[in-house]
Parts: sequence; structure tokens; C-alpha cells
Amino acid sequence: MFELFLLLSRYLFLFYILYFLWQAGVVLREEVGKSYQDPDRALFKQRVAVVLMHYTGFLLLSYEQDRFSFSLPALALGLGGVVFLLVGFFVTEKIYRNSDSLLWNCFFFLLDVSLIMLERLNHGMAVKQLIWMSLGLAVALLMPLVLRLLPWLEKMKYVYLSLGLALILCTLFFGNEEFGSVNWIYIGNFSFQPSEIVKFLFVFYLAAEFRGFVGLRQIGIATGYAGVLVLLLVFQKDLGGALIFFMTFMLVLYMATSNMPIFFGGMGLASIAAYLAYRWFPHVQVRVAAWQNPWADIDAGGYQIAQSLFAIGTGGFLGSGLMRGMPKSIPVVEKDFIFAAICEELGVVFGMCMILIFLVIFLRGMKIALKSGTRFHSLVAAGVVTMLAFQTFLILGGTMKLIPLTGVTLPFVSYGGSSVVVSILMLGLLQWIGKYHGLETEEDEDL
Amino acid sequence: MKQSMNRVFWLVVLLFLILIGYLGKITLVDSKTTVTNSYNPRLNQSDSQIVRGRILDRDGAVLAETVDGVRVYPYARACAHLTGYLGVGKTGMEAAGHFVMETVHNEIFQRAAGLLTKEKPQGNDVVLTIDVDLQQKAYDLLGGNTGAVVMMEPSTGKILAMVSKPDFDPATVAADWDTLRLEEDGPLLNRAVQGRYPPGSTFKIVTALAAMRYLPDYETWTYECTGTMDVTNKTIHCFNETAHGTVTMDQAMAVSCNCYFAALAMEIGPQKLRMTADGLGFNQNIPFLLGNTFASFAADASSTESALVETAIGQGQTLVTPLYMAMLASAVANDGIMMKPYLQDHVQYESGTTGSQMLPESFDTVMTAKEADRLTQMMVAVVEEGTAKAARNDGYSIAAKTGTAENPEGDAHAWGIAFAPAEEPQVALAIVLEHAGNGSGAVPMAAKLIDAALSDE
Repeated sequence: MFELFLLLSRYLFLFYILYFLWQAGVVLREEVGKSYQDPDRALFKQRVAVVLMHYTGFLLLSYEQDRFSFSLPALALGLGGVVFLLVGFFVTEKIYRNSDSLLWNCFFFLLDVSLIMLERLNHGMAVKQLIWMSLGLAVALLMPLVLRLLPWLEKMKYVYLSLGLALILCTLFFGNEEFGSVNWIYIGNFSFQPSEIVKFLFVFYLAAEFRGFVGLRQIGIATGYAGVLVLLLVFQKDLGGALIFFMTFMLVLYMATSNMPIFFGGMGLASIAAYLAYRWFPHVQVRVAAWQNPWADIDAGGYQIAQSLFAIGTGGFLGSGLMRGMPKSIPVVEKDFIFAAICEELGVVFGMCMILIFLVIFLRGMKIALKSGTRFHSLVAAGVVTMLAFQTFLILGGTMKLIPLTGVTLPFVSYGGSSVVVSILMLGLLQWIGKYHGLETEEDEDL
Repeated sequence: MKQSMNRVFWLVVLLFLILIGYLGKITLVDSKTTVTNSYNPRLNQSDSQIVRGRILDRDGAVLAETVDGVRVYPYARACAHLTGYLGVGKTGMEAAGHFVMETVHNEIFQRAAGLLTKEKPQGNDVVLTIDVDLQQKAYDLLGGNTGAVVMMEPSTGKILAMVSKPDFDPATVAADWDTLRLEEDGPLLNRAVQGRYPPGSTFKIVTALAAMRYLPDYETWTYECTGTMDVTNKTIHCFNETAHGTVTMDQAMAVSCNCYFAALAMEIGPQKLRMTADGLGFNQNIPFLLGNTFASFAADASSTESALVETAIGQGQTLVTPLYMAMLASAVANDGIMMKPYLQDHVQYESGTTGSQMLPESFDTVMTAKEADRLTQMMVAVVEEGTAKAARNDGYSIAAKTGTAENPEGDAHAWGIAFAPAEEPQVALAIVLEHAGNGSGAVPMAAKLIDAALSDE
């Protein structure tokens, strides 16, 4: 009987995400004038969908078949999640007024999928993740207050530059290796990745450096800094991080200068560098080999990606149903490979819709960038979107063997304090720019 | 700046659409072949709330089914390597068809109905291309021999029979596991697909084809066979050192004159021989449901004379599988078009309707129809006047080639490849009998199997 519910739930989850996307479409169409439906109603319906999905997920997850009862810890987390959602919806709508609600809704949807999946995989991790989410959201909402106290954000480029370098060098000397890259620092029991903080510093730096005239001097210094960062990251074997920083630099440079030749020139150099990296570094070779033919080395290098493909392939378009698959056979499934677990149990169509939700988030982010009042804020927003988008592409591509694995996490969804808090803060940054530094407000504000 | 930002956004859109598309591709196309990999732990997930589907032959005979929770195999050993086993991991169709058989068509409806009728929903059945009567006959004829038989339909690639011996009882694999695992002659190995043997004289077909392509005067090219032939570091012997006299290609093929083909190979050269072999599917991974098959050919421009002549007569480092040889025979039979071999014909749902109908697909066009014709003529001569005379009959003509493959482990293997009727072939086969001595051992078996296959029509 319960099996039947699990099988039926696949259709429910699919319905929730399709309905959510449809309502997103309503909001978007209304904005461009192609519809006269009330966007606020659509946004409300989206929130209902998220909450219903949350209930569905947690009721199924907490039911204990053999005992005909519900697991208290799971129910408790479910309740905590509902509180988080409702408070989140309320605060972002009523208190953080005039921010991009569609962006918030997509954000909450992804966070909720993350909670459901993590509860399915590991209750302890799910609890921690909810705590991180709450903390992150709280900080993001308080961000405007903090940033208001920091004047001349756009003029502090050397602060960003030096702080960033310092933090990266920190891991070089004091770092511990985890999952193949040396970019974690342990202070007592607490671990964090300095490179995650440097992400913000880097984006702020680029926006500050390029906020005015972009001549040879600006490009020169920026390239130097970016180059040093990328090299240091490569040195620490954080290839994913290096790639993200590099691409963000190239794209922000392009957006600031509208100079195609520089962009393609840079990409050309990057290709050469990538090839050299492949020739010189064994750990790169392992990754590329595993990507080309995981079946040949299925015991070692190819194991992870093979298990990911097994999960996605066996689950199929509709998925196997929550708890009916075997996602735990994938190593690091709660972090890098959580998308494979989602595709296995909730279905590939659900996964595709999630990719669309990410796309909506980046669309809204770009809109904020385009509608910013100053070049500085515009570039910050664009930089943030670029970073998030490229990171998302890297991990999704790696999970499905489109590109070699790069050991980065899926924003908003992967387990991990650094991962989710940084994602939330980036979103908070976007919302901050959208609300306080849009074209209309720029005339009033002095910032 | 706005324009460039827009462009970057469209780049992001493009990248993500590629992600969605690729995700669709790996699910729709790739997953069928990847998920049956033995490393997929889901293969060991059996749903106890449904009845696992059955494995059926093309006419509906049951090769494997679940009765009262126990898996039974009505044809046990005869179809052992086809069905494979479950319990200690999974092999054969039990592995390849696992997800199909564990899936219930219209699952929600069936399960809901099951709640009412108290009957477990039935998983989907896998219907094979196998003709179980032919399979049983091949199994019986193989008798106490170690080796394999593969029978195929040349025009479609359908596998009609596939036997490998020594065999095992699929029903008791778990219980016999320790003994089975350690048995020296490897009963669990599917020799038809993965057994690798030197082809012996059956390889002369390849050598002949090379001559047709690269020796303009091959029709008139003759050689005087004295029973032996000396080349650098090696002496080639014909069987029993029989001196065949002056022979043309047809004659040499019919009596399987080693010296002729050795001399022919020296005339053609190793490079051309290699090109011919590669064009026939050698050194290529040939995908097949029960495991990929592979024929290896090692000679090339750097080969010594002795290596070359050995290779030309099917010795040396060349290794083929019975499945491959059946495919080669089928290609000659099918005007030069080598079809992809397949075993699963379609899926049958509980209601009786069919799904996932497999359609014949060409693997490659490996020779021209004229070349195929000419080779057919030669192979008919093998039966009419040559080493396969025992297969001659009044009703129809058979095209065949025998082979005696020397090998370092003992007596020579006996090979036989054939197809019939020669004019309009309906069946092709390959038989290998390990250490059986002379190649003519396979001939009577081939004749009987062809007879059984053709009288079935």
C-alpha cells in the first residue's frame, strides 16, 4: 500500500515542479506585457506548491512502514522546514519589500528539494543543512544593514585584492586536504573554505576595478590578480575553483569592455593552459580518463561517475520514487552528486525542471544586473550570476559525464555549510543590488 | 555593456539547454546499455511485491520463470548461458533483462488492482529471438564436447541458437557456487561470445577476400602444392602433407590447401591482409546484449614472413569468437552486409501486447555482393568436392568452410562455419569443438543443425 503511495508521489512531485514553473512563466509574461494575470497570485501559488511539496516529501519520509507510525525526528525536521519556509516567505515578501519575489521563490524551491533529499539520505545532515540555511538567510536579510555601514564599497579594490590573496595564501600554508583539494582550514572543530569568501572579494574587486574606464592598466592589474588566484588554486588542486574564477574573470572582463577579441584570446590561452595541465598533472589525467571511459576503470577512477550514471539511468524519466532507489551507492552523494540522487528518485524530468529553475534564477540575476544604477553594482550582480551559473554548469555537467568532474558543489542544493551559505549570501547580494541600487533608486542614494 | 551582458546571458541559456538535452540523451539512449553493468547495485534489487517477468523463446516457450517465489528453468542446461543465473550476482538475460523483468507495465494500475485481487503484479516478459527446439538440438549434438554453437539469421542478425559447453544448471548455481567457480574448464564462461580461439582454416575466407581485392589476376593465379612449403624460419604443411598439385583458388579453398594460401598471402602482403581483416570487423568492439565480442588480428606491415603465412591460414596471433565467425558467415550469406547480432526480440506485457520491438540493424557493409557471391561459390565447392563432403545432400546446397586450429593447449580445435541454402540463405552458423582434432568433426553437426533449421521453416 505504501509502495503505491511512493509510486504515485512521483507524479505529485512532477506536478509541483511543473506547476511552479508554469506560474513562473505567468509572472515573466506579465512583466513583459504579454499577459494580464495577477503576478502576485502566481507568486502565491508558487509558494503553496513549495509548501505542499514539503509536506508530501516529509510525510512520506517520516512514515515507518514496519511500525505503522511516523518517525519523530523526521517529523520534527519537517516542521522546522515548514517554519523556515513560512517565515522565509513572510520576511522576504513583507519586510524585504520590493525585492524580486520570483527569485526568492525559486530559491526556496531549490532549498526545499535539498531538505527533502538530504532527509532521505541522512537525517543528521538534513538538520545541519536547515540550520545553515536559516543562518544564511538571516545574514542575507541583514546584509543591507551591514552594507549600508560600509561606505565607498566601490572604491576599496585594493582591500579586496589583498584580503583575497591573503586568504588563498593562508590555505597554501595552513590548509588541509579534503576530497583531493587543499583548500580547507580547520579552526578547532569548525571547518571552512576560504576560497568561498574570496569569491565575494573577487567579484567586488573586479567590479571596483572595472567600474570606470577600462584601459590597459585596469586590465593588466586585474589579469595579474586573476592569474595569481587561478594559479594558486590550481596549485592547491582545486581545479573546479580555478575554473570558476577564471571564467568569471573572462566573462566580467568581456561584459565590462564589450571586447570580443580579448575574450576569445583569453579562451584560447585557457585552452592551451588546460592542455598543459593535462600533460603535467596526473590528477587532471585521472579525471579526464574517468570522463572519457569510466567503464574501463570502474573500480577506481571511474567508480563515482559510473554510479551516477547508473542512478540516473535506472531511475529514468519518471524516477524510481522516493526511497525506492539506491542513491547511497554513489560516493559523496549528499554533496557533489546530489543531482544524481534527485534524478534517480524524483525523475529525470524533475531534474530537467530543476535546471530550468536555475535558469530562471540566473535570468532574474541578469535582469538585476541590467537594471542597476551604477556600473559597479551592475558588474557585481553580473559577476555573481556568472559565478553561480558557471559553478552550476560545472557540477551538473560533471554529474552527467558531459564534462570531467571538477569537485564543486551544486549551489543551494548540495550539502555543506560553505556551499549553501555562500549561495544564499550571493542571492542576498543580488537582492540587495536589485532593491537598493536599481536605476530608480540611484538618483536618491549616494552610494 | 548591456549588449554584452545580454550575450553572456544567452551563453548561459545555451549551456543549460545543452545540459537538459544531454541529460535527456543519456536517459533515453545510453541508459539501456549502461545500467545492466554488473557494477550497478540496483541489479541486485528485486521487488518482492511483484512477480519477476519471464524469459521466453520466439514462440513463447518458457526458458525462465518464477514459481512460488523460486526461479525455475525448464530447459536448464541447454539454455544456461542464455538465461544466465541469479542469486550470486546476475549474468545472461537475467542481468541484461533485469530491469525489464522487474518492471510492471501500467504499474500503478496493476498494483492497485493487485491490492484488490490479492495477486502480485506480473513483471514484463522478455521474448528472445531464440528457437528453443534448435537450441536443444544444438545442445544435444554438442554432446560431451567442449565448445560452442552459434546459429544466426543472416538477413536480420537474429540469434536462433547459442550454446556453450561445459554448462551448468542455472537453478542450482548458488548452491554449487564454490565448485563451479573453481572448475578448470570454466562452465560459467559463455564461450559463444567470449571464447577466443585461433580460427584455423576458416580464416582462408579472409585471405581469399584480400586476394580478390588486391590481386587483379586472382582468378588465374595458381600454385603448385607439394605438401610442404618453406619460408624464412618456418615450414608450412598441408594436412597429412598431401600434395595438392597445381590448384586455383576455388580448388585450394575446397581442399583447404595451406601452402596455396601461404603463398597467396606472401603475394598480397601483410598490410593488405590487415586492411581486409579490419574491414571485416576485426579489432573492433562488437556490442552484444550478453557482452561485447571481439576478434583480434595482429599482423601488420612489420610482421615477419612466418607470422604472415601463419596468419593467412588462421594461426598465428589471430583470435576469433564463435559469435564473430557466425557474423562473418552471415555477411557472406547476406550479400556482404554484416547485420548486428541480437538476442532480444521484444518485450511482452502482462496483457499480451508487445513493446520495445527490436529492429534489425546493419553493423557494416563489409564486402560487395560480387565478392560475397564469389566466396559463396568457393564455400559451396568445399561441400561439393572438398573437406565438408559429409554435409552434402540432395535437397539444397550448403556453403561451408572447415577449420583445424592448432593451439598450444593440446589437440587442434575443430571449426565449422556454414550457411544454407547457398542461393537464398536462411541460416548461418559457427561451431567450434575444443581439442577435437580434425575440422571435419564439426561437419556432420553443422549439417544436422542446418537441416533442423530449414525444416522448421
